[in-house]
Amino acid sequence: MLDLQKENEIAIKVSGIKKNFTVGGREIPILYGIDFEIKKGEFVLLVGPSGCGKSTLLHIIYGLEAPTEGTVYIGGEDEWAFSKNWRANFRNDNIGFIPQQPFWIKSLTVIENIAIPAVIAGKTFHEGIKIAAKLIELVGMSEWSNHRPYDLSGGQQQRIALARSLLLDPKFLIADEPTGNLDQKAGEQLMELLQNISQRFQITILMVTHNTEQYKFGTRIIQMVDGKIISDTLNKHSYQAIKDDLNLSENSNEAKKSK
Amino acid sequence: MKIVQLFQKFSPRLFKKKEEVKHMRMSSVLLIGYRNIAINRTRSLLTIGGVSIGIGVITFLISLGFGVQAMVIRDVTKNNPTDIIDVSNENLENFVVLNNETIGKIKNIPGVKSVEVSADVGGKFINGEAQTDAILYGVTPGYVTLSNMNIEGISAGDFTASAGIVVTPRLAAMLGFEKPQDALGREVEYTAVVTKDIVDPNAENPAEQTSKKVKIVGIISDQSKTDAVYAYTMLETLKTQYNITAGQRGKILIGNIEKIDLVRAQVEQLGLVTESVVDTVNDINSFFSIVRIVLIVFGTIIMSISAMGMMNTLSVSLLQRTKEVGILKALGAKRTDIFKMFIFEAILISFSGGAIGLLGGYGVAKGLNAIVNLVSKRYGISAADFVLVPNIFIIAIVTFIVVLGISTGLFPARRASKIHALEALRYE
Ligand SMILES: Nc1ncnc2c1ncn2[C@@H]1O[C@H](COP(=O)(O)OP(=O)(O)OP(=O)(O)O)[C@@H](O)[C@H]1O
Ligand SMILES: [Mg+2]
Repeated sequence: MLDLQKENEIAIKVSGIKKNFTVGGREIPILYGIDFEIKKGEFVLLVGPSGCGKSTLLHIIYGLEAPTEGTVYIGGEDEWAFSKNWRANFRNDNIGFIPQQPFWIKSLTVIENIAIPAVIAGKTFHEGIKIAAKLIELVGMSEWSNHRPYDLSGGQQQRIALARSLLLDPKFLIADEPTGNLDQKAGEQLMELLQNISQRFQITILMVTHNTEQYKFGTRIIQMVDGKIISDTLNKHSYQAIKDDLNLSENSNEAKKSK
Repeated sequence: MKIVQLFQKFSPRLFKKKEEVKHMRMSSVLLIGYRNIAINRTRSLLTIGGVSIGIGVITFLISLGFGVQAMVIRDVTKNNPTDIIDVSNENLENFVVLNNETIGKIKNIPGVKSVEVSADVGGKFINGEAQTDAILYGVTPGYVTLSNMNIEGISAGDFTASAGIVVTPRLAAMLGFEKPQDALGREVEYTAVVTKDIVDPNAENPAEQTSKKVKIVGIISDQSKTDAVYAYTMLETLKTQYNITAGQRGKILIGNIEKIDLVRAQVEQLGLVTESVVDTVNDINSFFSIVRIVLIVFGTIIMSISAMGMMNTLSVSLLQRTKEVGILKALGAKRTDIFKMFIFEAILISFSGGAIGLLGGYGVAKGLNAIVNLVSKRYGISAADFVLVPNIFIIAIVTFIVVLGISTGLFPARRASKIHALEALRYE
């Protein structure tokens, strides 16, 4: 357990995470030691160039990809000290997840797909759908309940994915570029929804994005480059300020590279 | 880091405090399996169709095989109960006849209940202008009962008490009667050619071979041969007329069916030949067991084709659902959940195919039976049931269906359960 005093505040603690991938018999380091703490209720945006290891980090935090070194505490639990099945239960219980492309069970309807986390937890579809009905309303997609998910637009699908991720009242939400495939407007709408939900239900959100326009929605922005954190800024609700700030560090980084 | 934490980190298996693993319900697993079958309609129909055609053809053939076998045996044993042995002296080398001495010996064999005798007398029937050669059988009253004779015009009881004869319709016709019934109550002449062996050797006045008057009291119909020409009378009558006291053939009623083989062996030691419907039944059974082996070989070929179809469908289904499995795993599904999903989908396919096939094959066979009966009724042949599905076959088929589902589902289900969550989340 983490320090009791801090436990109330700290939702996620990432500690000394390193990750190597073995490619063709060679170990390639992807993450070089990542440390940060996320407090309860924060809406953290993880940004950085393609291939810098953002998804890998999220997967480690979500409990899908084992770190080579270091560990992750979520809600005080040392996630990687337990078995695979324990992590599966833990994810199901505590963490909502929105992938970049929402994957669906093709043969099920929208509302049945939203109910899936409950079904995995051992509830009946009937029970799951009852909860799902409230959440589909929350994301404003009630009228699409009985459609097939793949018939919906990208933006609509991400709303459904959000509803699915919220089904079992998670304390944390992890989202990997949920707006990546959306147009500007649909992206904004989803971000507003996320911001709204984060504030209303005190859900801690860790989200990857590429879109600088969306920085204004986060309460904090962590920037990664080449498997390292290069900046960690609180959003002072001044979008321009953050943008300048980030541009600066990006430029300085590029400057470093060119040398 | 506290000691406890260190400990947890390096021996996760010792710390199973929250290890209560949740699993998907069977109803949910089945629903997802069913939905997946339903959404891939054409593919599923083809696969289920393949299984049901395979099972259906086998059921159809087997039910006919067993049914025809049962029908033939029913037919053979109808007038020849299995507890009756036919004996005769067709063994020409030692001319044994069923005289009082032989009958006494047979009666003493354990398991024998009664012995009935028939004496065959060749001769000529004459009715005015009409005359014909025919055999006259002189039988004991019990023989009439054991042979289950089909007599018209007189009851079996009255016939055994009378001195008259019963003739076949064909014999009646040959004796000049337009209709068999016209012969009832009429007297005809009979000249017998009596062999010495069956005549009482101690008789005071051996009968001459003269013609006697006999009265026709009934018509005996023979189901197997409509043109049979013969007549029956009581052995008692032949005794008074020709001093015949012994017979060439007889029927032995067995009291204890388990002793039938022993009885036969002992009777044969007396120099007699025995015949039992059991021999015929055994012949029929061995013929049909060959038929069944052919059907089983044939069925195995059909079923392997269906099984390959199922394997193909399930493998394709697995390939198409890699991402579905991945997201389920990412959302917390366990290996066993995924395994169950795939194996029950396979079982669902084999079960529905099996049920349709079993009912369909049986239904088609029954339908065929009904049509055949309808047609045969037109031609005056009595209806017969020749469709039979024995319980053992149903058990075998159900077992087979379960085995088919599990064996074809096992490989894809294991593969699916091993798919990693990241296989869905990683995008190229
Ligand atoms: N299983 C793997 N085996 C080998 N290399 C991997 C594996 N997974 C990821 N990588 C590599 O690790 C690096 C980081 O990948 P990751 O997906 O985390 O990047 P990212 O920051 O999410 O990029 P993007 O913004 O494009 O999604 C990439 O170079 C990728 O090729
Ligand atoms: Mg990524």
